[in-house]
Amino acid sequence: MLAPLAMSLLPKRPLHLPRLRTYVPEPSDPKIFWFNSERADILQDVVRRIMERYEADDAVELVIGDAAFHEIRRLENRTDEAGRKGLEYWRGVIRRVGRMSSEGKHETLREIAMRMAKDVAGNFDPRVYKFAARAVPGLLTGVMNPSNLMRNMLDSGTRLDELVSVEGPMEKLRALQRKGTMLLLPTHSSNLDSLAIAWVLFREALAPVVYGAGKNLFTNPIISFFMHNLGAYRVDRRVRARLYKDVLKAYSSIMVERGFHSLFFPGGTRSRSGAIEQRLKLGLAGTGVEAFARNRARGVNRPVFFVPATINYALVLEAETLIEDHLKEAGRARYIIEDDEFSRVERWIAFFKRFQNAESACVIRFGEPLDPFCNAVDEEGRSLAPDGRVLDPGSYVSRRGTATVDSARDSAYTRDLGRAIAKAYVKETVVMATQLVAHVLFRRLCRATPGLDLFARLRHRGDIAVPMDELVQDVAQTRDRLRKLEREGRVHLNSAIRRTEPDQIITRALDAWSGYHQKPIARVLGGSIIAEDPNLLLFYQNRLRLFAPDIAGDNPGDQQAAIEIAAMEGGR
Amino acid sequence: MSAPVAIVGGGTFGRALALAAARVERSVINWSRTARAFDHERITSTSDFAALRAAELVFLAVPSPHVRSLCGELGKHLDGAHLVVHVSRGVVGDDLETLTEVVRETTPVRRVGALAGPLVAHGLAEGQPGGGIVGTLFPEVADAVRGALGGPTLRIYDTDDVLGVELASAFVSLVTLAMGYAKAGGFGPGTLSVLATRGMAEATRVVAARGGSERTTAGLAGFGDLLAAMAEDGRPELALGRALWEGEPLDDAAQRLGAYVEGVRIAEQIQNFGARHQVETPLAAAMAAVVAGRLSQREAAAALMRRPAREE
Repeated sequence: MLAPLAMSLLPKRPLHLPRLRTYVPEPSDPKIFWFNSERADILQDVVRRIMERYEADDAVELVIGDAAFHEIRRLENRTDEAGRKGLEYWRGVIRRVGRMSSEGKHETLREIAMRMAKDVAGNFDPRVYKFAARAVPGLLTGVMNPSNLMRNMLDSGTRLDELVSVEGPMEKLRALQRKGTMLLLPTHSSNLDSLAIAWVLFREALAPVVYGAGKNLFTNPIISFFMHNLGAYRVDRRVRARLYKDVLKAYSSIMVERGFHSLFFPGGTRSRSGAIEQRLKLGLAGTGVEAFARNRARGVNRPVFFVPATINYALVLEAETLIEDHLKEAGRARYIIEDDEFSRVERWIAFFKRFQNAESACVIRFGEPLDPFCNAVDEEGRSLAPDGRVLDPGSYVSRRGTATVDSARDSAYTRDLGRAIAKAYVKETVVMATQLVAHVLFRRLCRATPGLDLFARLRHRGDIAVPMDELVQDVAQTRDRLRKLEREGRVHLNSAIRRTEPDQIITRALDAWSGYHQKPIARVLGGSIIAEDPNLLLFYQNRLRLFAPDIAGDNPGDQQAAIEIAAMEGGR
Repeated sequence: MSAPVAIVGGGTFGRALALAAARVERSVINWSRTARAFDHERITSTSDFAALRAAELVFLAVPSPHVRSLCGELGKHLDGAHLVVHVSRGVVGDDLETLTEVVRETTPVRRVGALAGPLVAHGLAEGQPGGGIVGTLFPEVADAVRGALGGPTLRIYDTDDVLGVELASAFVSLVTLAMGYAKAGGFGPGTLSVLATRGMAEATRVVAARGGSERTTAGLAGFGDLLAAMAEDGRPELALGRALWEGEPLDDAAQRLGAYVEGVRIAEQIQNFGARHQVETPLAAAMAAVVAGRLSQREAAAALMRRPAREE
C-alpha cells in the first residue's frame, strides 16, 4: 500500500547527481565512460548530418512542415504546461516558416534538430554506474523478499547469479569488445529485459552498452534515474515526425561509429504473443551497417559485430497484459502500454516472490557474433567466409574498389541481417519448464477442438481435463523430441528441464504460475490437470510454436494439432 | 573498362546468356566443367573457377540440385564485392528454400538476385525483343544485370520481392508440366486456361505463406513466364508432361529430353510445404501423385474437379 504512494511522491523529471568535480576516465575504463566528454561533439555531429541530408530549401521547408504538423497533432491533446509550451512553439514555427529566408529556414532546422537531439541524447555518470553495479542486485533481491532486506543486500550477488544464468560464447564476446563495436540484439519479452541484461553484462565482465529506451519507461522514477545516468537514450514512439526518426538514426549511427557498444531490441517492442520474434525490421540496429560503411568510407577500420541473444523467462512479468493486447484487434494498435504490470510495484513483488527458490528463472543466451553482412567472425574479430577464409568486410561496401555510403544497399544488408538474427533467435531459444508444460496442454486443447479457429479455442476455459499420467507421458515424449532438436543444434533446453523428471517439470511449472498470475493457468483436480486460462497457455506455449510439428507425438490428433499450432499467426 | 561478366553453366541457357552479354559489347567468361569453346571474340571459356574472380557480376545458369555443391566451390573465389544472379527455376527441399538463400549460405556473396520471366534461350541468343525481371534487394544488382544484358532488344525490370520472383518462377515450371500433361490428354483451351489460372492462384497462396508479395505472381515472373510456356517456347516441362500422359517412365523421358526438368521435383516439394503450413495446393498434390505414378490420367483430372468451387 505504501509503495505506490511513495512512488507517486517521487519527482517526475529525471534526476542527475550534482557534479562536484569532472570525472576523468581511466584508460582501462569502458568506452561509455568517455560519453559525457564526447556528448557535445556527438550532438553537433547529429545536427551536421541532418543539415547535410536536407540541403535544398524545398526539402528543408518540407521536413520542418512535417515535424510541425505531427507535433501539433500530438500536443493538441496534452493539458500540461510542457505540452502547452510545445504547442505554442510549433504553431509559431508553422506560422513563420513560409515567410523565412533560405538562411532562416536552415537555422530553424538546425535549432529543431538540436532540440530533438538533446531530447534523445543520454547521460553517463560513472558514480551511478558504480553504485548500480553494487546496489541493483541487492535491490532486486530485496524486492523479491522484502522481509529479509538486510540479508538480501549482503548476499544479493549470489542469489541473482542463481536466478539469472548466462550461456553462450562469453570469452569470445569479451575479446571482440576490445576489437570493435558490439551491437547486442536481444529478444524482448519484458521491461525487465534491460535490467537483466545490464546485470549480466556487469557480472560477465562485458562493457556496459548504450541503448534506446522507450520514453514510457522513464515514467517509473527509479528506473528513469538509472536510465538517465547510465547512457540510455530516449526514444519517444509517439513522435511521428520524419525529422525525429532521422535524428534518432543519426544519433545511433554516430554512437556506433564512435565505438560505443550498443543494445537494440530488433523486435521493436515486447513480444505481445510470447512467440520468438521473427519479423524483424531491425530499425535502429540497421544503423550499425551504415556506421560501418561510413567509417570505411573515411578510412576508419573499426569492425562492427552483431550479437543475437535470447532472454528466456520461466515467468513473464507482464504476460497477462501482453497476451491480452495481442488478442485484441484494437489492442494491436495500442503500441505503447503504460499501465501494465511493470508499473505496479505489487506485481513486481508477486513476480519475484515466485522466484525466491527457483534456479535459472531467467536464462540469457548469447549467440555467435556476426559481422554486418551475416558472416561469422573469429576470436580476432575477422570476418569468415563459409569455407573459413578470412574476408575483408570492406568489400561489401565497396564497388570497383571504393568504399561508399549507399542507403539503399545498406538497407538491403539490414534486411538480410534481420533474417539472420531471426534464425539465430530460434536456434538460441532456451526452453523453460513453463513453456514446455503450456505447449503440451495447449496441444491437448487443440486436439480436443479440431478445426476451430484460435478465438473459439480460447473460449474453452476450464473445459479440457488431461489425466495426470497422460500429461506426464506427453511431457516426457515432448522433452525427448526437444532433446533431439537440441542435439541437432536447433534449440536449447533449460538445464532444469534436462535433468528433472517429467512429473517434477509439471510441478515446477504449476508452482511458478500459481500465486503470480491473477487467475490460475492450470490446476490439478482429481488426478487430472484442467486448462483454466487458454490465453496464458497460448502466451507461454507460443515460444515453442515454430517447433510444434517436430515435437508432437505420433498420435495423428497430436500431429494435426501441431500443424495447426505452427500455422498460427505469431505476431509480435 | 568494365569488368567481364561471368556465366557459370555451359548449357543452352548459359550459352544464350553469354551471347546476349557479348551482344551488348561486354567481355564474358563462361565456366563449364568441360570448357566448351565459343566462336565469339568476346567470350572466353574456362573450367577454372579462379578465372571468375576478375568478374563483378556472376550469372548462375545451372539446374537447382547442383547449385549448392557448385557454389561451395565457386564461393572460395568470391568475396563481398561480387554480385551473383541465378536463372534457375527451382527451389530446394520441402521448406522451399530459394536459390538466392542457397547462394547466401554457401558463398560470401550477399548482393544476390534472381533473373526470371519469359526469357527464352534461343530468343536471348538471337537477340529477339523481350524482357525479364530481376528480383533483388540491391538496386546495384539490377543495374549490373541491365548493364550486362539490357539493350535495344532486352528490357530488364526489377523488384525487391526476391522470394516472390523465385517461387513464382518455380511454380511456372509446375504449371507448365501440368499443361503439357493436359494438352497431351486432348483437353481444350478452356480447361488449360482454368488449369493455368488456378495453378497461379495456388502459387500466390504459397508465395504469401512463405513471405513474398501476392502481386509478384501476376507479373513477368509468374503469368508473364507462363504465357511464354503456353506458347510452346520449347520448355522441357511441356514435353515431360506429355510423356507422363503417354505413360513413358519418368527416367526414360528425362533421359530422352536431355535436360534437367525443374518441374519434376517441385510438385512434391510444394505439396509437402502446403501440408506443413496449411496451404491448399491441389495442383501440386495431383502432379506429385502423377509423377510418382500414384494417380492415373482420369483420376488426376477427377481429383482436381472434385474440389468445391468457391469465391475466386
